[in-house]
This record gives sequence, structure tokens and C-alpha cells, in this order.
Amino acid sequence: MVSTLGMALRYRPLTGVSSKVSKANALFNPEWTTVRFRYHADKVAKGPVPRRHGYEEKLFQGGLLPRTAFPDRALPIPTYKPKNSWNEKRALFGQNDYIDILGPSNEISQKPLHPTQLLYHVPPWLRGVQGNEYQVLLRRRKFVQKKGYALGHPTKWATLNTRIKKLYRYLNHKTKSPFWKDA
Amino acid sequence: MQPSSKKDRKLRQQMVCYLSPNLQIQPPLPIIYSRKLAFPPKFKAVRQAWVSNMDTVEEEKLGLIDLHPEVFAERPRVDIIHENVRWQQLYRHVSYANTKVRYEVRGGGRKPRPQKGSGRSRHGSIRSPIWRGGGIVHGPRSPTPYFYMLSFNARLNGLRSTLSAKLAQDDLHIVDSLDIPTDDPSYLEKLVEERGWGPAVLFVDDNDIMPLNITAASDVHGHYNLMPVYGLNVHSMLKHHTLVLTLAAVERIEERLLFHLNRNDAAEAGRKHRLDSL
Repeated sequence: MVSTLGMALRYRPLTGVSSKVSKANALFNPEWTTVRFRYHADKVAKGPVPRRHGYEEKLFQGGLLPRTAFPDRALPIPTYKPKNSWNEKRALFGQNDYIDILGPSNEISQKPLHPTQLLYHVPPWLRGVQGNEYQVLLRRRKFVQKKGYALGHPTKWATLNTRIKKLYRYLNHKTKSPFWKDA
Repeated sequence: MQPSSKKDRKLRQQMVCYLSPNLQIQPPLPIIYSRKLAFPPKFKAVRQAWVSNMDTVEEEKLGLIDLHPEVFAERPRVDIIHENVRWQQLYRHVSYANTKVRYEVRGGGRKPRPQKGSGRSRHGSIRSPIWRGGGIVHGPRSPTPYFYMLSFNARLNGLRSTLSAKLAQDDLHIVDSLDIPTDDPSYLEKLVEERGWGPAVLFVDDNDIMPLNITAASDVHGHYNLMPVYGLNVHSMLKHHTLVLTLAAVERIEERLLFHLNRNDAAEAGRKHRLDSL
């Protein structure tokens, strides 16, 4: 429905009027009445009404693609090299993990082995160690103090001891012991 | 030396027989037809499997052997298999990720500004955790070990479940030995292709020094791997599609697993692993 009422009626604008009396008159005057002349349906009929006013669409909607300064070369993207699932490390992963079951046991000629004895890539003091940071650091200090670590790595030795002290205080004064729930 | 085929072998047998009857020839098939099982099974039926050869590309069945059901016909427990794989992946993992605590970060010894008077917030150090560039409070601390030991029986049953699953799914083959006629990698390729063995094959033998030819042939391909019996594990068995055991390997595996199942000092073996006890 297109109304033509807006064309015919005159209405007194509020802005651009100097005197206060005129403004007051424009706001309330029994001779005048405000009539709706703008309908949303008319706007919709003209075309699609834009939604999300102020929103900037970041996705490509159409138009020229971005161009680089060098038209001959491709963009510097790293070449994809799929990982080799069958290199020696990956193909034989897990070998000898069951050596205490499938290997010799209590045999005179061959000594029985445990998988912790085969953890060659783990530092020797950390092989077969299960614990939290405090326990791990205590073990590290035990292993390292006899070898002159304090002389060769003074800062790290100091940091190690500080950390142990802090963790002792934190764990014993600030946190609940796991045995408390049994008490 | 060119790879031999069934026809060539038969021809050679006939020629040898004709030319020099004193020479030993291959006896008629089946060659292997019985195997004594340790700890004879009482309640489960014995399983049987073909024994093939590796001499020719085409499969030649040399005989039928018995397999112990406690090792090869255990109901596959998928949860135990999963536990085993997870253990294998995690127990050797050490995380070296590290973050510095406030007193480890360089600097931060001096009070940035006096306590009162500046109108700004009060601080004691520029490396406090609330500052940009400051220490991390509960971050990763290197090295963090993820070691734990799965129980002896969980690992034992993991091996049994995986072997049983492999046999049940036709992914387990038994051969007499790993001796092949050439060290040509294409011989292995053709053999695996011909017999319908999976893309990846794991050959297991009792001895850890394998014959030269198969070592050379499988060296080229990463998906054909050789392993001794003591190196067998759940992860490798699942990673490789097909598992090929020699007769000696079958004997050894059965002997080891049945020994552990029937030992009378199992409590000692099943005890929790103690650090520095070895």
C-alpha cells in the first residue's frame, strides 16, 4: 500500500526554528495533529531492507580478488610435506615394551629385563619415575648434587633449591594432603 | 638369481631325482602335521592354522598345526587392547614444556614505584603474574614424566587379545622360516600382493638376527618390518595389517605366555613396579 498522504499534509518541523514559542507550538498545538505517513511496508516493497546495520562482512562477497605486488610468483606458503608414517621410529614404535613377558625370565644365561631399563631417550634419573613436580625435583637434586652441579650451574642450582623450598611450603601449608580425607 | 615359481621347483625336483637319485629331495606335502601343546587345554577347542612357505611367490601350504586356545583364541577385550596401546604411547613420554615462575624471569627485583603517592596501583615487582611478561603461576614445568606401569596381567591379556583378534580376522599367517631365495625387494612385494596379505606386514621370528635376503628386501620398504619375539607388542601388531609368524616364533610365544599364565609365583611378577628396584 503506497500512501500519498505524506505529500499532501504539512507538518511543522522542530529544528531550524529560532524562537522558543514556535518550538513549543510545534510540540503541542490543538490545531495540529501528527499523522503517520511512513510505513515499513513501503520500504520493504521498494527493495530488501538491510539487516545488521553497522556490521562489516569480512568474507569475500564478490569483486576483484586481492592482488600481490609480484604477479609472476605464488604467495609464500610453506610446501606441505606429509609425515612418513613408516620411518624407522614410527614403524617400530613400541618394540620391546613387553620384554619382561616375552623375553627371558629367571634364566641363567640371559638376565630378565624390564621395559624401564630400555628407556634410552629419557634422562637416566627420570627413567621409571612417576610423580609430581616436587618429587621429580627432589630426585633431580639427589642425582645432581654429588657431581658438582652447584659449581658448574650456580643459577640453576639456586633455582632448583628455591623451587623445592617454595613447593614444600605451598604443598604443606597451603594445600590439603591427599591423606586428609582418610582421617 | 631369479625368483622361483612352483613350476620351476617341481621341474628341479624331477631333474634332481632323475640325475642323482642319492641327493635328498623335498618330501611330499604335508611336511608339518603335528605339534605338541604345552598345558593341554581342557575347556576350549584347539585352533588350527596352515603353515605356508616363503620360497615361492605363490603360497604353498606345508601343513596344518595346532594353536593353543589360551593364547590364540582368547575373547578379544577391546578395552584391554586400548589400555595397552595408551600405555605404550604414554609411559615413555616426557614433556619438556616449561614456563618461568616470577622469580625465574629476568629482572623484577626492585619495587617499580613507591607504595604511596603516585596515584597508580601498587606493585612489588614487574615480573609478578599479573604483569605482561611476568611469570606464569601454574604453567607446565619441565620435565614432566607421564610414566606409569600397566599391571602385568593387563599387558599379558593385551597380548593374548591382540593375537586372538589377529587370528580371528585372518590377519595372522604362519610360515616355516623367513628364508627367501633373493634379496630383491620386488620379490617380497609380489609375494605379499599374491597372497593378499595387507599393505603392511610384520614378520616375527624367534631369533633377532634375521636371514640376509629378507633383511635386504624389507629394508627398502618401511611397511615390511622384521621383529624378534621379545620385541612383539600390541601397538606394532595393530599398526601392521598382517602378522607373519615363523614356527619357531609360535613355539616361543606360546611357551612364554603359557608359562606366565601357569606359573605358581604369579604374585611376585604381578607386584607393582618399584623405582630403582632393578
